Amino acid sequence: MTVKDKGLRQRTAEHFEPWEMHRRVPLPVIWVAVALGIWGTGTLFHGAGSETVARAEKVQAAAEAVRPTDAPSPGAALFAANCATCHQANGAGVRLAVPPLAGSEFPASGPETVARILLRGIDGPIRVAGSDYDGHMPRFAFLDDERIAMLATHVAERFGGRPDGTAAPLAAADVAVLRKAADGRQSWAGGAELAGAVAGLPDQRAAVPASSPSVDAAVSGLIFQGRGQVWACASCHGDLGQGTGSTPRLAGLPASYIARQLADFRGGHRAGENMRVVASGLSDGEIAGLSTYYAGLRVPSNAAPALGGDLARGEEIALRGDWRKDIPACFSCHGPSGFGVAPDFPALAAQHPAYVAGQLAAWAGGTRGTARLGLMDRISAALPDADRRAIADYLASLAAVPAVATVTAQGVPTNGQ
Amino acid sequence: MTIGLLLALSFVVSLLALAFLIWAIATRQITLDGGAAATMFQPGEEGHPDLDGTHLYDTTGIDRISARPVAVLLGGAIVWLIVGSLFGLGASLKLHWPDWLTHYAPLTFGRMRTLHLNLVAYGWLSQAGVAAMMWILPRIFHTPLRSPRLPLIGAALWNVAVAAGAAAIASGWTDGEEWLEIPWQIDGLLALAGVFFVVPLVKTARARTVHHIYVTGWYFLAAMVWFPVLFVVANLPGIHYGTEEATTNWWFAHNVLGLWLTPLGVGTAYYLIPKIIGKPIFSYSVSLLGFWGLALFYSQVGIHHLIGGPIPTWLVTLSVVHSVMMFIPVIAVAINQHVTVARNLWALRESLPLRFIVFGAVSYTLASFQGSVEALRSVNTITHFTQYTVGHAHLGAYAFVTLVMFGAAYHILPRLTGRDFAHPGLIRAHFWLVAAGFAIYFVSLSVGGILQGLAMLDATRPFSDSVILTKPYLEARSVGGALMTLGHLLFAINVIGIALPRRADAVTPVAAE
Repeated sequence: MTVKDKGLRQRTAEHFEPWEMHRRVPLPVIWVAVALGIWGTGTLFHGAGSETVARAEKVQAAAEAVRPTDAPSPGAALFAANCATCHQANGAGVRLAVPPLAGSEFPASGPETVARILLRGIDGPIRVAGSDYDGHMPRFAFLDDERIAMLATHVAERFGGRPDGTAAPLAAADVAVLRKAADGRQSWAGGAELAGAVAGLPDQRAAVPASSPSVDAAVSGLIFQGRGQVWACASCHGDLGQGTGSTPRLAGLPASYIARQLADFRGGHRAGENMRVVASGLSDGEIAGLSTYYAGLRVPSNAAPALGGDLARGEEIALRGDWRKDIPACFSCHGPSGFGVAPDFPALAAQHPAYVAGQLAAWAGGTRGTARLGLMDRISAALPDADRRAIADYLASLAAVPAVATVTAQGVPTNGQ
Repeated sequence: MTIGLLLALSFVVSLLALAFLIWAIATRQITLDGGAAATMFQPGEEGHPDLDGTHLYDTTGIDRISARPVAVLLGGAIVWLIVGSLFGLGASLKLHWPDWLTHYAPLTFGRMRTLHLNLVAYGWLSQAGVAAMMWILPRIFHTPLRSPRLPLIGAALWNVAVAAGAAAIASGWTDGEEWLEIPWQIDGLLALAGVFFVVPLVKTARARTVHHIYVTGWYFLAAMVWFPVLFVVANLPGIHYGTEEATTNWWFAHNVLGLWLTPLGVGTAYYLIPKIIGKPIFSYSVSLLGFWGLALFYSQVGIHHLIGGPIPTWLVTLSVVHSVMMFIPVIAVAINQHVTVARNLWALRESLPLRFIVFGAVSYTLASFQGSVEALRSVNTITHFTQYTVGHAHLGAYAFVTLVMFGAAYHILPRLTGRDFAHPGLIRAHFWLVAAGFAIYFVSLSVGGILQGLAMLDATRPFSDSVILTKPYLEARSVGGALMTLGHLLFAINVIGIALPRRADAVTPVAAE
């Protein structure tokens, strides 16, 4: 204790034990308590809606869970056991090696086609969804009629564009007929023979191996394997340059635009540490090769609105702009449908919303660093956050760019539309 | 129907209970009757302020029995305070010297920060709080501490458990939840130690010679029920998973502050403020309102840490409402404690322990108001995941509870040892070091935290901006933390000084507890 504290000890009693007086609770305290009680009840009442929303979501989720495509049906189990290894669980196939089932014309022509292929296998060139493959598929005749029927029905329903299951399911008896017809015959000699037997398949005769962009081995190695610090492009941007999340879609962007971005990353003009590392390991020739490859890719959109943006507002800005805020229409520079205008205005359609919103924000904050003429800097800065999300979500809802592709010239419908 | 409805009902029931309480107080249903009052005071003394020491109650016999457990507990607490402060300072420095001490796993940021939290929460605050209970409860019950040997066993177990927990955390073995990092196998030892603390205190309460229990007693007795339940339920392994685990985690973590450290700090302040000043507390009715408000509203508060998390929205809303309702008990405690002080400001000049305690009591009011506001979604949007929250946590756990415990230690130790502090100047230096240190700490983290939150919300700025801009504020925090740690060292030196017999009357030095 301090010396002074000794004085205090003399004024107060060491033996004093605390006690309480009997004053009433001050009236303002009661007012405050009542006000808080009213506020709390009101807040809870107001927040009660959230439970209603949660219940609705739960009911919806339960309804979706019983949809046939999601239920673990016997057909799905057969698919997982026999097909998914090569065609992938989502039916996307493997680029340049295994044809996709999703978006393929073959399941779309019905379960019977699928059963025919299963019973005989394929050995010959085949064109699926605009790309050519060197088809080698073993036969699955060891599955009994009932299993073939279930599997073929599942594949046709899931990948043939009729998820509601309106296609007539294949019966085991039908498979028995097909099996008898296939008995003793060799594998289908590619798409050409199949097209002769089944109506409605794409033109298989004029198979042009170069329908996918020609890729020399060095560029292909960069894309799929990488080299040292240059890690594989496909490891982030996907095997078809489709991108995801905040990694942009590259497929169908103008080659000169891609090349300029890579050069900007390499020169430190565009911010982005990952891409700076990758691009600084690329030569000019490699940049040109990669740009050409991605510009020629044609991939359906895998983007979807994800930021809770107002799609109507996004459409308004994309088509007409908002001249009260000096914002021009996106499409006045980026082309109709946002498909881009080569060489300098990239495609926006089907771009991933997180990436678009992120880039708009980066321009607004002055951190992207590559705006020509300050165009996107000024426009982005004029967009409030909600508008940036609205535009990004709207663009994600658009169809993908019909990229330059050799098949287009031959009259095959483009882009799976 | 649903848990949401049940929890909403619990709020309504709490409101009704509070309304009933206010009505009962207003109509004097709950007051001391004449008989109850008479057991507290000598005949004819009820209702008169005691300024001349005529409320004679000989406490010397009581204090002599409490002295040993209190000394052991305080000694252990101070050791952990020093160690915990050093880890806290180290963790703070690492935030702006990221390459410092990185080659040894126990000294990496994740472990040092965790060690700091657990050592100060369980080693220092809990132990100092139990020491205050051991000293104060026998006094307000007017009877000596029962089974005074048990707390010695408890203290030994507790300190072994804290040391083992620290070793486990340093070696990377934790339960992986904030405030519950000590592995549950070791927590069992802490729970066992708690039994050795609670049993003597409950026995003392049952043997009390007064009918009326002073407000400090309510807080202490309630804390002895609340904390063991919280601690055991939250630590039981294999019960809670996923988001339920996170919910239980924050239910516990926030209730450690509100239903354990707060009752310890508020109860101690409720005793020592009038004790030192020598004047009674403002109002018994307001005490009731404050205590029951805490009891009714606090338990749901912790879930506001999960605003925006993947748990039901109504659960968060209920927590936000309860957090704001905490204004009621906090205002009640503020009236009772601050009015008593405000009418006797002279005492602040004369008593250094009172300075610590009043600093703590005012911090309780501020921390609670701040916490209620911080729980609102609109505010939380900015402050969540920023240094602002760290500043707030220290306003509660440091500026409030720790400073009250400093004051309690300075008040108790001379009475416990029968000696005065050898270096009163060190107490003054201690006070100003921690007051200035904490002011720097709190202001820098609050300002830096808000700027950090605004930067994170601004999509046009890269995330790294929100990190880089905090650097000067983190450096300021380290300066503040260093001042506070220096103050703690002075505190420890002074305590060693009073615990060791003076040179004149001792030949063999006795180790400080």
